[in-house]
Order: sequence, then C-alpha cells, then structure tokens
Amino acid sequence: MRTLTRFMLAVAVVAALSATAVGQPAERGVTPTEIVLATSMPMSGPAALWGTGVGGGIDAWLRHVNDQGGIHGRRFRFLIRDDAYLPPRAVANVRELVERDGIFGLVSSIGTANCFAIRDYMVETKTLWITPACGADVWAGMRERNKYLFVTYPGYVDEGIYLTKYGVESLKAKNIAVFYQNDLYGQQGLLGVKRGIAQVKGAKLVAQVSYEVTDAEVAAQALKLKESKADTLILYATPRQGALIVREIAKVGYQPTLMSTFTLLDPVMFALAGEAWNNVYLATYIPVPGMGDAKVDATLATLIRINPALARNPFNASAGVSFVESFLEGIRRAGPSLTKDRVVAAMESLKNWDGEVIRGVTYTPESRQGINRLFMVKSERGQYTKLTDWYTYPRKF
Amino acid sequence: MTQLAQYLVGGLATGSLYALVALGVVLLYRSSRVLNFAHGDIATLGTFVAFTLLGRKLPFSLAITGGLAAAALVGVLFFFFVLRPAKEASLLGKIVLTLGLALVLSGAVQVVWGTDTLVFPFPLSDTRVHRIGQVVVSETSLGTIVTGIVLMTLLYVLVQGTKIGLAMRAVAQNADAAQALGIPARKIYALTWALAAALGGAAGVLLAPVVYLDPFMMLDPFLKGFAAAVMGGMDSLPGAVLGGFLLGIAESVFAGYISFKFKTTMAFAVIILVLLVRPEGLLGRVYHRRV
Amino acid sequence: MLPRSADVALGSRASPRTARIHLLSVSSDLLERYQDDLYLVKGATGWLTVAALLVGLVALPFFLPKVGLGYLLFIAILMAANVIVAVGLNMLVGFTGLISLGHAGFVAIGAYASGLLAAKFGLPWYAAWIGAAVITAGFGFLVGLPALRLTGPYLAIATLGFGIAVYQVLVNWTALSGGRTGLPVQQLSFGIAGLTATQQLYYVAAGAAVVLSWVGYNLARSHVGRALAAIRDSDIAAEVTGVNLLWYKTLAFAISAAYAGIAGAIIAQALRHLEPQSFTFLESITYFAMIVIGGLGTVSGAIIGAVILTLLPHYLSGLRQWLPIFYGAAIILMMMVEPRGIYGRWVRIKMYFKAWPL
Repeated sequence: MRTLTRFMLAVAVVAALSATAVGQPAERGVTPTEIVLATSMPMSGPAALWGTGVGGGIDAWLRHVNDQGGIHGRRFRFLIRDDAYLPPRAVANVRELVERDGIFGLVSSIGTANCFAIRDYMVETKTLWITPACGADVWAGMRERNKYLFVTYPGYVDEGIYLTKYGVESLKAKNIAVFYQNDLYGQQGLLGVKRGIAQVKGAKLVAQVSYEVTDAEVAAQALKLKESKADTLILYATPRQGALIVREIAKVGYQPTLMSTFTLLDPVMFALAGEAWNNVYLATYIPVPGMGDAKVDATLATLIRINPALARNPFNASAGVSFVESFLEGIRRAGPSLTKDRVVAAMESLKNWDGEVIRGVTYTPESRQGINRLFMVKSERGQYTKLTDWYTYPRKF
Repeated sequence: MTQLAQYLVGGLATGSLYALVALGVVLLYRSSRVLNFAHGDIATLGTFVAFTLLGRKLPFSLAITGGLAAAALVGVLFFFFVLRPAKEASLLGKIVLTLGLALVLSGAVQVVWGTDTLVFPFPLSDTRVHRIGQVVVSETSLGTIVTGIVLMTLLYVLVQGTKIGLAMRAVAQNADAAQALGIPARKIYALTWALAAALGGAAGVLLAPVVYLDPFMMLDPFLKGFAAAVMGGMDSLPGAVLGGFLLGIAESVFAGYISFKFKTTMAFAVIILVLLVRPEGLLGRVYHRRV
Repeated sequence: MLPRSADVALGSRASPRTARIHLLSVSSDLLERYQDDLYLVKGATGWLTVAALLVGLVALPFFLPKVGLGYLLFIAILMAANVIVAVGLNMLVGFTGLISLGHAGFVAIGAYASGLLAAKFGLPWYAAWIGAAVITAGFGFLVGLPALRLTGPYLAIATLGFGIAVYQVLVNWTALSGGRTGLPVQQLSFGIAGLTATQQLYYVAAGAAVVLSWVGYNLARSHVGRALAAIRDSDIAAEVTGVNLLWYKTLAFAISAAYAGIAGAIIAQALRHLEPQSFTFLESITYFAMIVIGGLGTVSGAIIGAVILTLLPHYLSGLRQWLPIFYGAAIILMMMVEPRGIYGRWVRIKMYFKAWPL
C-alpha cells in the first residue's frame, strides 16, 4: 500500500515537472489561471478625476469579466499604481510593474507627458500597451516600432477638423472662436480647427483664448471671447472649465453657437452648466451614457453595480471600458494557449469590430490606430441626440 | 470705461475671497509664527462638510455653520494633538507639519467625496445678474463682496473691541508675559486656530458656488491669499484685507488688458516689487532688529 | 544645535560640562581640539564606512538584478537627483537660514537648459550639464538679491513667486520650451562602454551625488560654511564681524541653484521628455520637506530626507487614492517623533552610547 502511494506520488511529481519543462516557455504575466494587467494613473492630486474614473472603470469591467468566468479559464489580476500625474513616478511605476510584477500588458496611462516619458521603455521591453490616453503625436513617425501598441482613442486634430467642417457647412459658422486648455490636448484641437478652416472656405478664426487647467475662474477669458464677436465658439476644455466658461459668457450676455469636443459629453455637464448646456453641438467617438444606446447604458449599470463610486463619474468609467475592450477580444481570439504574439495576431484580425462601448475597431499589421470615426450629437434638455452618421478620417499610425 | 468698471467688479469679488484667506493666514502667523500650509485644505474640508449637510436637507444657515464648525474643529484638533506635542519643532518644522496635514486632509476629502466636480447649492444665483449701466454684477459676486466685508468687520470688532480680542493681541505680542498675567495662552491659541480655520471655511463656501466644488478648488486661492497676506504685512490684519483687495483688482485688470496667461506671474512680480520697497509689507510693523 | 557645534568643539576654555565630556571622550566622535572639527572623515571606522558606501554604490547595478530588484535602478537615479537638490537646498535653508519655496523652478531651468544646450549646440554631456549649472546659478544669484532685504515668510513668497513664474514662462514660451507639448531630450552618450543607458546614467548621477555631497560637507566646514552659519544665526552680527552679506547671501542662492540645475539635468536624461508639470509648487514643497525631515543644517540629514521622500511615495503607490493620507501622516509622525529631523535623532542616540554611563 505504502509502495503504491510512493509510486503514485513519484508519477505525479514527474508529470508535474515534465509539464513545466516540456510545455512551451511561460509567457510573462500569464499562468493557466491568471492574466496580470496593470496601469499607472493619477489616482491622487489635481488630475485624480481621470485616474479614478478611467482606472476604476477598467478595474470594474475586468472584475465583471472575471465574474463571468474570465477568458479561457483565466481570470484577470489588475494592479493600479498612483503616479499623481508626475512623469518620474509614472516611469518608476511602469518599470516596477514590468520587471517585478511581470505584467502581461499595460492598460492605458494618462497624460501626454507621462506617455512620452514611458514610451521608450515600453518599446524596449516589447510590452503590450493598450490605449494610452494622449495625443496621437506621441506615436507619429514610429510605425515600425510600435508592434505591441494598440490605440482606441480619437485624434484631437482630426476631431478639430471635423468639428470645424460641420460648423461651417451645416451651422453656417463665419467667425469662429476657440476656447482651449493650454496643453497638448487643447493645442491639437486648436490646430485641427485651423486646418479645418483652411480646408473649407468662407470662415475665419477671430479669437483663440486659452486657460490653464489649474485656473480657478475664467471671467477674463469670457470677456475676451465676447469682444471677439464670434458667431461660433468651439470648446476644448474639461467639464469644470467648460461649464464655467459657458456660464460666464451667458452672464455677460454673449450667445454664440456652441460646439465642443467629446470630453464635454460627460453627463455631469448638465448638472454643472444647467440651462446653458442646451443646443450644444459635440463630436464623439463612442455613444455616451444617457444617449439612448442600450448596450452602453447596460455596461454602465454593470460598472456601477460592481463599484458604486463610479456613478459619480459615468463618462470616464465608460471610456475606460472602451479603452480595454478590443484587447480583451484579442485575448479571447488568441485562444487557450496565450502568448503576446498570438494576441497581436488576433488583434490584427479585428475588422470593424463592435464592443459594448467602442464601435468599429480595425487593426492591421500596418495600423495601430483602432478607430478613425466620429459622429455629431446635440444636447437638448438634458439629453444628447444623434445628428449625423459616422465620419471617417485618414489613419495616421 | 465700462470695461474697466467690469474688471474692477470682478477684482473686488475675488479680492474679498483673497482677503478672507489672508486674514486666516495672518491671524495664525502673528499669534504663533506658524505658516499654515493646510489653510486651503481645511477650508475645502469645511466646504465639503457643508455640502453634505445641505444634501441632508438641513437649512442653509445651519449647514454652513456646521461646515465652518468642522473646519474650526480640525484646526483646534491639529493644534492640540500635533502642534502642541511637537513644541520642540523649529519654525520650518512646523511648516512641514502643516504640509503633512494638508496632504492628509486633501487625501481624506478625495476618498470620502470623490474627485469629481460638484454643484454647491447656494441661495444666490451666479447667472442671475444685476446691471449697473453697462456693468454686469452677478448675485454671487455681490453676495461675496458683502459677506466678505461683513466678516472682516466682525473680526475687527472681535479683535479690537472685546476682551478676548485683547487677550489675543496680548498673546500675539508676547505669549510668556501674557501667560504670566493670567491669560490662558493655550486656549487663546486654540481659539485663534478655530477662528482662522472658520474664516478659511467661509472663503471656501463663498468660492464653491462660483467655481464648483472639487477637492483642489482652494489651491490657487490659498496661494494668492497667502501672497496677499505677505504683501499686506504678516502681522497686520488691515494689511491682509488691503493686500487681498489690491491683489484681486490688480490681477483682474492685468488679465483683462494685458495677458491672462501671465496673471499669476504678474501678481507675484507686483508683490516682490512691493516687498523690495517695504520688506515688512504694506501695513506691516517696521521692527528694528537688535543683535 | 548638534553636538558638533561650538560649545563642545571649542571646549578648550571648558565649561564644567564640556570638560567632563573631554575627560571621558575615548571615542573619536567627541571633539577634543578644533582640528577635530575640520576632519571630514575620522579614524579607521570612518574610512571603512565611506569605502563600503562607495563600493555599494558601484556594485548596485550588478547586485540589484541578481535579487530581482533591477527596476530600482531607475529609482536610484531619481534618488541621486533628489539628494543633490536637497543637499543644495539645505545649504540655503539649513546653513544660511534663508528659505526657498521655489526650488522646483531651479530644477526646471537646469533640466531645460541641459536639454537645449545639448540639442541646439551639440555640446557633450558634461559641457551641457556644467552650462546648465552655470545658468541656474545665474538665476540663483538674481533670486538672491531680494533676499538681502527679505526674511521669513516674505522671502518664502518671493521664492514661491519665482517658482510659479518659471512654470508659467515654460508653459507659455512655446518657442523655447515646447510649452505643454513638451521638449524631447536626446539621449546623451556618457561614453561608458558595455553598459545599458540606464546603468550609464546611474553611474553619472550617483557620481554627481557623491561628489556634490562631498563638496557640501567640505563647504560646511570651510570659511564659507562658517560665514553662512554666521548669517543664519544673526546677519547683522555677521556683517559687523566682516562677512559680506551681499556676496554670501547671493552665493548661497547661486550654489543652491547650481545643485538644483545639475539635478534637473539628471532628471532630463532620466525622462528624456520634459514638460512643465514635473516642476510645480508641489515639487518645491516636497524638496523643502526633505531637508526638514532629514534634519536641517547637516548634509547627512539632507541625504537621509531625500532618500526617504523618494522611496515613500513609490512604496505607497499601490495605495492609490489613499496615498496622500498615509504620506501626510508619515510626515507628521516623523516630525512629531523627531522635530530636529532623523539625522538629529541618530546623533542623539550615538552620543548617548558614546557618553554612557553618564
């Protein structure tokens, strides 16, 4: 009896050893039961709103996937590190995540400066990097180097061109003013508006007024905008500053046609700006919560069920899902024996793929820009209504 | 001319906020020589507490009182449980203690209330406006200016016209001598902390309806209020008020006519120039150092 | 303030207390003659410690990957930069008694200057870095001028304003700094063969930190250090005894700024992309907290403070939004337990055992 037990034990040991020895080399961050993903985001400090919303959304969505049994029997472990929006801390976090925690991939990261600071390291270590939320400028000219990068995030310049074209052609804009945040995001939007004006004749840019993201109030900017007498005002701002400027111009009796970038689609705008947020024309790349899209609303409900705090931040939480969805589909398509290169191949097979929030994702071996489409919506009495069909712009990377 | 008047109105409203913040900074500095870097975060905490109380359907005046009381309580607790036990700390060490408090409070506000932008319900509307000629004055601006001036007057009466005020002045001038004369210096310090924190809280409550409520809303007003206090003279309460209004108006006019991009730089440039002419601030007491 | 101060060191005309210490001082740590105070490193133990530290620093890049901590090398680089800033800032605050709440501005100038000098003029790394140090020293001199008249909170506001001005200029002078788009910094070649870029940068950064700390220790016990300390204790008295206030106050600012400039150059190489958001007021107060927590007025204290405040936020980073609460509480706790800084506590413990059983 004892011999038999020993024999069985020996067999088990040999089997276990040979399984690890003969089986293919283990992929970093992947075990038969687990996939390790991570992110470094501003969870504290003045930019914490984005980190807690987007990071919290991704975290909740991965937990939801785990609750459904994971993908091919593997569940996700998701590590969130705080970088307080500071590039040195972001680099330190990412190095630790890759070298110590051995992550399979980095999901997003926020802020152009942070993206630039970790970019070279990500390329060197050939780590999968999904949808860093920063301007497409970061990737321009490095097509041959970004094999492991996938982005489902719109280009700010293209959005600016589209907004301007729509304003001039459909809303009869003649004199355009831009209110923008003084960083890469706002500047690229402004550049897009300028290019759009150059492409369609008959309109001119009469004012470009900027603010700092730390500015407490924007009264001086509102007076400048009023003096410009522009008939159309395009906003590139965060919800707080966007609501402030809309209220300030209403206060001084200035009423241009309002147009805006997708960041102001956040439903919080109706609460912040009140009646002033009526008849605003916005471009977007995803259907936002509260727009009547059943899948998006159901997704948000799931997120809030898992993490009730996300109810305060519905737009960013949904955006978080849109960042990571195509990657999860890639993992699904890569099959049970998961490797980095299988995921890359699987993601390159995505053609016009629709997720719960993101729509029309296409990757090819040449292009990592997953989405290149936008459409227009309009705000009316606390609701957004869809105005146009998809508009497609050329891929850049 | 209308334009200038419009800028002046804006400057007065922000100026009265700066003055309230500056008063809190000066009150603490002249009594205990502490530069309180947590002033802004104490104010933010008080405002958030008021916000929660308002959400519980409390009447406005009660909710605001609750918020200010919370701010005052944090100030007093910090004094008794951190600053007193760390008597040995140098002046710079005390600054670092307040920096620690600022981090703790700001973190706590983020954890409890989240980081999203909130609407602070206020009886005065920011979009309803009065017109004086061509000049537009919103109800909140008017309310801010009036409330600011009322609070400043009350503080003046308290400090200059009451027994407690006399004790506060005595402790500020020479704590040991005051204590020898039977003034309970510790209680007076605690009271000063409470008063300063509540003043900050008042600034927060006045600011929140204008710029919305979020955990970092006091960052900029605190720095400006601190700067205004220095410009006015760190040991002078009237100086803090003067500094606050001057800074608010200068900023608004500069932003309107020249550049809003360099608004803050200009504010500090003006302050440095003032200090080069009067190193003790506009109304600060010139004191002669002896070796 | 510390045992190595005048009442013990100048114990020849001894008070009863110092005389007693004098009698019992078998160890090298209690000073018997003025010369003792001038030695930087004393005795075999002292030299052994220094040698062990240096060997440890040299071996670090090879040792860390062996124990699976290779990622810490980058943090070691940041730490070296912070040590340099703290040692320089301590010279200003701890030795001279002036205050600066705008040191991130100097770090920013050093970072951008080194990047631009290398890119626009094709300078080799050492020339770009020295250039950056000289430029920041120039700014330090200018900021030092108001310090002749201002003290305490007034100087704090003036320097704070400087930090904010640097930030706003970097944000808005796009032609120079790239504004919020940022400034790419080319990778400099340090010419150390056989090492990765990170390892090379580590050696250069650690080397700079060691050399500049050594300079710091030396300055502290030179006539310059004595003059600065005299200004701290009473600037009028110092002037009466012949210390040129104009020269020494601006010198303190210039040296301190030059240190920050070198640190900025290291940070520029570590990130290779500069953006003003890394150099805000919040960074300035972090630098300030480093020297106070470590212990004002000593080079060792500045080093300890910089090391702790570099590691702390990194190790707390998994706490996410709870980080500021723990970080702030840790700072309060450290200051309450030891108001004179961690180095001060270390010296007290050491003295207790040296003087035991007294």
